[in-house]
Amino acid sequence: MAQPLLKKDDDRDDEMEYSPFLGIEKGAVLQEARVFNDPQLDPRRCSQVITKLLYLLNQGETFTKIEATEVFFAVTKLFQSKDVGLRRMVYLMIKELSPSADEVIIVTSSLMKDMNSRTDMYRANAIRVLCRITDGTLLTQIERYLKQAIVDKNPVVASASLVSGIHLLQTNPEIVKRWSNEVQEAVQSRAALVQFHALGLLHQIRQNDRLAVSKLVTSLTRGTVRSPLAQCLLIRYTSQVIRESGMNNQTGERPFYDYLEGCLRHKAEMVIFEAARAITELSGVTSRELNPAITVLQLFLSSSKPVLRFAAVRTLNKVAMTHATAVTNCNIDMESLISDQNRSIATLAITTLLKTGNESSVDRLMKQITNFMSDIADEFKIVVVDAIRSLCLKFPLKYRSLMNFLSNILREEGGFDYKKAIVDSIVILIRDIPDAKESGLLHLCEFIEDCEFTYLSTQILHFLGNEGPKTSDPSKYIRYIYNRVILENATVRAAAVSTLAKFGATVDSLKPRIFILLKRCLFDNDDEVRDRATLYLNTLGGDGSVVETDSAMKEFLFGSFDIPLANMETSLKNYIQEPSEEPFDIDSVPKEVKSQPLAEKKAPGKKPTGLGAPPSAPTSAADAYEKLLLSIPEFASFGKLFKSSAPVELTEAETEYAVNVVKHIFDNHVVFQYNCTNTIPEQLLENVVVVVDASEAEEFSEIASKPLRSLSYDSPGQTFVAFGKPEGVPAVGKFSNMLRFIVKEVDPSTGEAEEDGVEDEYQLEDLEVVAADYILKVGVSNFKNAWESMGPDCERVDEYGLGPRESLTEAVNAVISLLGMQPCEGTEVVASNSRSHTCLLSGVYIGNVKVLVRLSFGIDGQKEFAMKLAVRSEDESVSDAIHEIVASG
Amino acid sequence: MLLAVLMANSEGNILVERFNGVPAEERLHWRSFLVKLGADNLKGVKNEELLVASHKSVYIVYTVLGDVSIFVVGKDEYDELALSEAISVITSAIKDVCGKVPTERLFLDKYGKICLCLDEIVWKGLLENTDKDRIKRLIRLKPPTEF
Repeated sequence: MAQPLLKKDDDRDDEMEYSPFLGIEKGAVLQEARVFNDPQLDPRRCSQVITKLLYLLNQGETFTKIEATEVFFAVTKLFQSKDVGLRRMVYLMIKELSPSADEVIIVTSSLMKDMNSRTDMYRANAIRVLCRITDGTLLTQIERYLKQAIVDKNPVVASASLVSGIHLLQTNPEIVKRWSNEVQEAVQSRAALVQFHALGLLHQIRQNDRLAVSKLVTSLTRGTVRSPLAQCLLIRYTSQVIRESGMNNQTGERPFYDYLEGCLRHKAEMVIFEAARAITELSGVTSRELNPAITVLQLFLSSSKPVLRFAAVRTLNKVAMTHATAVTNCNIDMESLISDQNRSIATLAITTLLKTGNESSVDRLMKQITNFMSDIADEFKIVVVDAIRSLCLKFPLKYRSLMNFLSNILREEGGFDYKKAIVDSIVILIRDIPDAKESGLLHLCEFIEDCEFTYLSTQILHFLGNEGPKTSDPSKYIRYIYNRVILENATVRAAAVSTLAKFGATVDSLKPRIFILLKRCLFDNDDEVRDRATLYLNTLGGDGSVVETDSAMKEFLFGSFDIPLANMETSLKNYIQEPSEEPFDIDSVPKEVKSQPLAEKKAPGKKPTGLGAPPSAPTSAADAYEKLLLSIPEFASFGKLFKSSAPVELTEAETEYAVNVVKHIFDNHVVFQYNCTNTIPEQLLENVVVVVDASEAEEFSEIASKPLRSLSYDSPGQTFVAFGKPEGVPAVGKFSNMLRFIVKEVDPSTGEAEEDGVEDEYQLEDLEVVAADYILKVGVSNFKNAWESMGPDCERVDEYGLGPRESLTEAVNAVISLLGMQPCEGTEVVASNSRSHTCLLSGVYIGNVKVLVRLSFGIDGQKEFAMKLAVRSEDESVSDAIHEIVASG
Repeated sequence: MLLAVLMANSEGNILVERFNGVPAEERLHWRSFLVKLGADNLKGVKNEELLVASHKSVYIVYTVLGDVSIFVVGKDEYDELALSEAISVITSAIKDVCGKVPTERLFLDKYGKICLCLDEIVWKGLLENTDKDRIKRLIRLKPPTEF
């Protein structure tokens, strides 16, 4: 390798050219590994070969089973050498090779010997290796030594066994849990890292024992914590205790808040941030509690270190979601971050500003963002687009400038995900802000004139077909649609034909012209386009051969396809495999949605943007629920689904069976959909039902229950219970739930269940149906107009005392969640230090009655809160009902 | 969890790549993503100046040390601040082993020792040792001085 003829000046070239691993090849290195078998070991040479093996492994090279076994056996021979450097390499190499269970036996005796060695460092390393390669049976043999090692005087030995414990807790929890006394002792260690590792392990062992965690936190917050890392852990555990304990009712103070606040003055930045984050995430945090944390974070916004700026803006961004006003003080510092070289920081700053800005600052902000957008990557642009969409929904009156911004960026260069985010945003704005509809549709039309993404063109055409005919002048869209038939690929052309047909079906005046256009499509060179054109011509032509009535035609064109595509695909495949004289019957396709196994549902969350497949198109949860319920014969006659609640958890996290419930509200019925997951691999549950006791819900009577036939491990399933209730009445009540099932043992090796099962029960938490379940959150773009056009005929006004409250924000939020209505025009945000506030709400009450609410809050001298509630609706009984909800809430 | 430690030379060739809890099929994505991140941002950056990036709940802290770019990726408790701590330990250990800011050749010459240092610093995704002097002793199987 040495090149003696080269001059010293050429060192650099020499370095580049002659890497010690130049031309390294796995086969040759494996050959070299034979030196491990030499009777006279050369430690230096052996270390070099191990280094080469490590290099190969670190490059992502893999060894076959035979190769790995050969190397492993050879490496075990090296235990004969007394060379310290080589022994250290051997420990590492064995870990890297991770030998299989039947091979481990070769090395255990050597490692056990080292574990009892007088040399501390042999002990520490042997512990780490053994714990890495061991299985349960061996672990019970060495458990005694590990327990001793935890309290070893040498911190390296103690840390080795503690970190081993953290890893082993995942695979052999029952063994590691027996070490808690020793771990408890190690928490008091004077060695900083031992304390850190012990604290982490002790918390994991006791995490389900609230009292123990609370005691641990109490003692450590008063004692000494020796390293910033351990301090961070302690802050995290403290927040957990605070979350579970709530306020001290007597003094109104939050336990441990002083400790967290004290940590804001710690010398390690890591600790300061952890404390600041913990404070900002306290539930129901007051502005007095929040302020010190925000002040500290604000200082870090102008730090010279990117990591600190990032950490600060990231935390503030999160705070802005719930306490936008608290972050407004940081806006000036945040604005200077828009030009930060680090794009992650700049994007976070922008999105925070979008959340904290008020209506008057929108235009100025948009100007700044326009410059910023040109030099960031798509993944950041998507985040900004999402933030702008939320801003527009918050300030609907600003839709013009925001919609213009979206349409401008839609015209610029960008990848699929980015364009899709913009299109999705425009579609949502069109749906939620009626005034934005016409301009939004035109922006989309212009986009498809020059759109390179077939998927987006077809989506827009579909949307245009549904919304365009309902506008004031539908004819202006026809040109854009027909251009697609002339200029685009077959998929887009086919979609354009369908869109044309929708216009023809809805707008009578356009029908003759649409006919002409569709007739031209009959000569298309793609059969799908021709077929569609023929089908639609016959449908619209109305000779009765395809559809008989006008409404049937519209149902045909606009109705949703209520069969899951996966089921359709399976049925068609089966049909092709078994040829039959009978034509395929679409009614034979099952409509039940097969649930996804848990493993697939969990988003990986680690994949960087742009590398994964594009996410599937957003589907509305309400539509999916409606389809699911319609597919169940027992519920098909319940009529139109009014509202489905968000899932309510009925079990705590990490229990054997995870169950949540979705409340589906119909005019005369309520259906509880219990989503159940079995988290025990060794069990199969059958005939799963939820037995509901409705004795505290007098107006409800159970009428049907649909059991779940089987619930295997990790594959969620649903069981349903339906109740009848008086029509249109917002009946409320409390339901207690018991999960009942037959449990069968499953053999983990074969996955087969035993034949006989045992009946068992599992208590679930109670569930309540509340008044808010009968109100849909539906916003209005201009509250004043809506309020005035509703008129004072059915208005009801009254005043209520709310008693002493923590803050104005808390009072406003409490009433909003009680009513379950949509806050309008950003009025859910209360300006800091204000003593009065008006909040505007809108919604639709069961029976499809529009309701508007104007809430005026005030505080008197004695800190008593009062509220004036004005309700307008289309029906005075509904206005009264809203008052009743507030009066009884 | 400290999901990955990756080191590459100035051309983006991998020198060390260690993953913890990252499925095999995602590793290649990570490799190319990190190398590109370095190529885009590390030009002209001073030695050991820490840069940061994030994607959803995953954080990346990275830096340059002589000819070597170093990336650490983490999630949950290993946020940008904990990763800064980890990467500082890694850079100081490498400097210690190499005796100076490493060239690629020097790094490869000390490759075995650097692997041992990494083994002392990160163990299956958990930070184990943080003091460079202690690490220097541990890789030679010497007990820490304070003991």
